[in-house]
Amino acid sequence: MAPPAQALDGSALQRLVARSALGDRAAFRELYQATAPKLFAVALRILRREDWAEEVLQECYVSVWRHAAEYNAGRAAPLTWMTSIVRNRCLDWLRRPNPEPLPDGALEDLESGSPGPLARLEGARDSAALARCLRGLDARQRQAIALAFFDGLSHAELAKHLREPLGTVKTWVRRGLARLRSCLELPG
Amino acid sequence: MNCQGKPELRARLAAEFALGTLRGRARERLRRWLRDDPDLLREVQAWEARLAPMAAGLQPMPPPPRLWSKIERRLTFKKPLSFWKTLGLVASGAVTALLVVAVLLPPQGAGVPASYVAVLTDPKTSHPVLVATAGRTDRALHVNTLDPAIHVAGRSLELWALPRGGQPKSLGLVPARRGELKLVAAADQSLGDVPALAISLEPQGGSPTGQPTGPVLYSGPCVKYW
Repeated sequence: MAPPAQALDGSALQRLVARSALGDRAAFRELYQATAPKLFAVALRILRREDWAEEVLQECYVSVWRHAAEYNAGRAAPLTWMTSIVRNRCLDWLRRPNPEPLPDGALEDLESGSPGPLARLEGARDSAALARCLRGLDARQRQAIALAFFDGLSHAELAKHLREPLGTVKTWVRRGLARLRSCLELPG
Repeated sequence: MNCQGKPELRARLAAEFALGTLRGRARERLRRWLRDDPDLLREVQAWEARLAPMAAGLQPMPPPPRLWSKIERRLTFKKPLSFWKTLGLVASGAVTALLVVAVLLPPQGAGVPASYVAVLTDPKTSHPVLVATAGRTDRALHVNTLDPAIHVAGRSLELWALPRGGQPKSLGLVPARRGELKLVAAADQSLGDVPALAISLEPQGGSPTGQPTGPVLYSGPCVKYW
């Protein structure tokens, strides 16, 4: 049985991706065990339905298996690569031609949930710089970015949820991201 | 129409794509641009790297055990297909390479052509980067690095045999240009059941574990001609 996710650092995950690329199924299973709880949380948060999150994750892992050889360790950490695959698939899922509507009140449910991940981020070892830079944003900018990242809200959904004009919300996101970038580029 | 020459717009679209707020047609359009705009792709990837650590704020949640079974079923069914499909993608490049190789490579031994030939290609460009050949009874693989630029300073490239249904076996480090890699047994034994070769990026001196530890950069079919 694979060690728990926390025990595997980026280079261990990289090795598992490399071995998966060569068709090593045991390595792929280890990769799955190390990453699935994190990625399931990502998908579930955006999609808000377990069956959808399961379906998306299934597609994502099959795709990781098939494209493992194209993974470029020089460009992205393995977890970044996989997180991006999952988030992109979730967003695609939400815009399928026959979108099943979100359960009533789903957006309102976010109210209580959204500070949670940001608070937990503070304690996470590998994201100290990001947590610090997010803290440095205006509260509205931070909230808009968090709702977009964690809950997959579009600009229009953000405007509806935050009860602000679309243009205002877009400006928060744009300025927030710009500040986040310059903060992350500062040393220390 | 694209966003070339508008650095501010590019930067904004890349960030919003990575964050996920860019949606609908705008998202699809950007995705099309990403296919042939490596700079824009790098910009998106830089944003993904900045934002992805946010996911550490989510409480991990193990998916139901049935999910792995579903995935595994699809691997069992798809694995050989997808593997060969990957190789198929580079096949046209490989065929061209074989024609070139047949003309350019000096024959092995006393005028006898090689019976095992592998052409490894770059999956991104389909360009052949390395040719490996051996006669049936040879105890060495003749390696010709066609593209010396594949070598990375301070790292080694390691060549692997990918036996049917087994663990990769190291064949040795890729030489700067031409070289011979010793085979543990005659080619008929060493390569007889090896449908493909691959090259991985390793620490200087090669993989410390005996299995590939870095990304697989190049691969290609290993064919027995006679």
